Amino acid sequence: MSQASGAGPLIQVENITRVFHVGGEEVRALRGVSFGINRGEWVAIIGQSGSGKSTMMNVLGCLDTPSSGRYMLNGKDVSRMSDDELAVIRNVEIGFIFQTFQLLPKETALANVELPLVYRGIGARERRERAKAALDKVQLTHRMHHRPNELSGGQRQRVAIARALVSEPSMLLADEPTGNLDSATGEEIVRLFEQLHKAGHTLVLVTHEPKLAARCPRAIRLSDGEIVADGDGRTVAMGTATDVLNAGGA
Amino acid sequence: MRAFLDNLRLALGTFLGNPLRSLLTLLGIVIGVATVITMMGLIEGLRVKVNNDLGRMGAHTFQVTKWPAGGFGRINWAKFAKRKDFEMPDSRAIEESCPSVGTVVPTDDEGGQKLATASSETRPSVRVFGTPANYPLVSGVSVQAGRYFNEVEALDGRYVVLLGTDVSDALFPGMNPVGHEVRIKGRPFRVIGLLQKRGSMLGMFSLDNQVMMPLSVFHQLYGKKRSLDISVQAKSPELFSKAQDEVASLMRRRRDVPANMPNDFELHTNESVTASFNQLSQVITIAGVGVCLLSLVVGGIGILNIMLVSVMERTREIGVRKALGARKRRILGQFATEAVLLSLMGGALGLGLGFGLVFLGNWMMGFPMQVPPWAVGLALFMSCGVGLLFGIYPAARAAKLDPVEAMRAD
Repeated sequence: MSQASGAGPLIQVENITRVFHVGGEEVRALRGVSFGINRGEWVAIIGQSGSGKSTMMNVLGCLDTPSSGRYMLNGKDVSRMSDDELAVIRNVEIGFIFQTFQLLPKETALANVELPLVYRGIGARERRERAKAALDKVQLTHRMHHRPNELSGGQRQRVAIARALVSEPSMLLADEPTGNLDSATGEEIVRLFEQLHKAGHTLVLVTHEPKLAARCPRAIRLSDGEIVADGDGRTVAMGTATDVLNAGGA
Repeated sequence: MRAFLDNLRLALGTFLGNPLRSLLTLLGIVIGVATVITMMGLIEGLRVKVNNDLGRMGAHTFQVTKWPAGGFGRINWAKFAKRKDFEMPDSRAIEESCPSVGTVVPTDDEGGQKLATASSETRPSVRVFGTPANYPLVSGVSVQAGRYFNEVEALDGRYVVLLGTDVSDALFPGMNPVGHEVRIKGRPFRVIGLLQKRGSMLGMFSLDNQVMMPLSVFHQLYGKKRSLDISVQAKSPELFSKAQDEVASLMRRRRDVPANMPNDFELHTNESVTASFNQLSQVITIAGVGVCLLSLVVGGIGILNIMLVSVMERTREIGVRKALGARKRRILGQFATEAVLLSLMGGALGLGLGFGLVFLGNWMMGFPMQVPPWAVGLALFMSCGVGLLFGIYPAARAAKLDPVEAMRAD
């Protein structure tokens, strides 16, 4: 892995808040969240809708900046960076995997995988080689000249994973990666994550599905913008299920 | 450079993905550029033609007339009509008392005349010239068949005439007219010569739809109370401006022009005719530039519109690109390149259309059109500019999009 070896955890979030102003009203999506994630960890961030997990995902992905608090990513304080500086961080440090894949429909699988390298200013030949290698890791080299609409959902998500891998980021950030897939295909993707985890990648997975979170060695539960549990994936995930059952039974 | 090539490839892809929409969008620019090319072609063609036509006027010759050379703009014809006529004594005075002057040729002419033979007649559009025998010396006129009339015929007032080729073709199609008889204002004339074909002045009126007769005969037909045009040839090219000065001061004396007043007559040289042509071409150029700017603005609004639509349609794509690390400048560049490429294509199409029109004008209507190379450069430069000007706002909007919001768009 090409992760720069820095002292301390890869991700260090300290007392982060995020406040939105919607029609004169203040919405506090994150209310002082702190945690750390080490290199090579596989962590699920789990929560109901409205729990703040999407906001957390945007902040972790450097798509948004916190209203207060500090976010250190790979030794850099990214919490006060400008849009363009964040773009560079996203390009170098983060591999995104989205629920709706977010592939460019008019480009081939290969061109889609090349895209992060385009914005890193890498030449066409090297781009092609590295994109092919990334597609090979997800066993899709035979489909590389197909457009997304010629691929199945599972294949599309694998293309997206190849795109996340191609720039050798310090972490993979997946947002409901199985949300748009049937359970068999979803399972296929989860297995792929397990392989990537074994290979040493740092994975952060944002989801509302306890079953998916239970597969992760560690899970952080958000509720109402605060961390309510952080620990073993299965325990944290199942805890949720019980809570929900209790709430329903009460 | 690499980024630019990537942008170019993307832009081309967009254009090819929507060829019809792109073409319709470009119409304004196409028309604008085609207008520039056609206008410039017309003006340049006229300029070349004018220079050629003026070359036909005799060397180091100028004309003394009562009328201005038809400047463009408001001319107070009544004012000129009040000026004193030029008459034969004026012509003789120039010949006698201007040492730098070589040949003096007084002429007069009347348009809208009709010539007839026993069996046919021309349309009433022939210009009849009355000239002395030495007229060919100072004019571009030369004789193709037969001869010009001589001094004796001119002084005696013989009813002889030379025909321009248009007139000859109308009355004597496929024949040599020399020796035949024609009637002008009911009087019989003998045709003694056929003039060399001269083509048309500025591509507009024919120089071959005219006939030449002795000035004395012309005066019998059309009366003497008219003003002559006096063509004056200097003895040598070096004496050209001196001859003009001599003639001007002589005429001022003869016409009693006070020292503090301007000339009450005109001296036309090739230069003065050129000057009034330049005035005309300026008017056409300004009109052309106006039309062109207008359609470029229309075209620019088209570009603006299509780019805004394009940005909207591709909001999601922009979001993905930004999420994956595209900086603002890069997105801006992508869409600006697209706008410029789009309008450049419009420019290229407009060039094609313009050249097509110029070709048609040349071939079908005989306008002497010619496109100067700089007009091509200007047209392409302007369409580039329009693309950039009207493409920058949509591109800036694209660059400013928030990636999270953008990826949520349908």
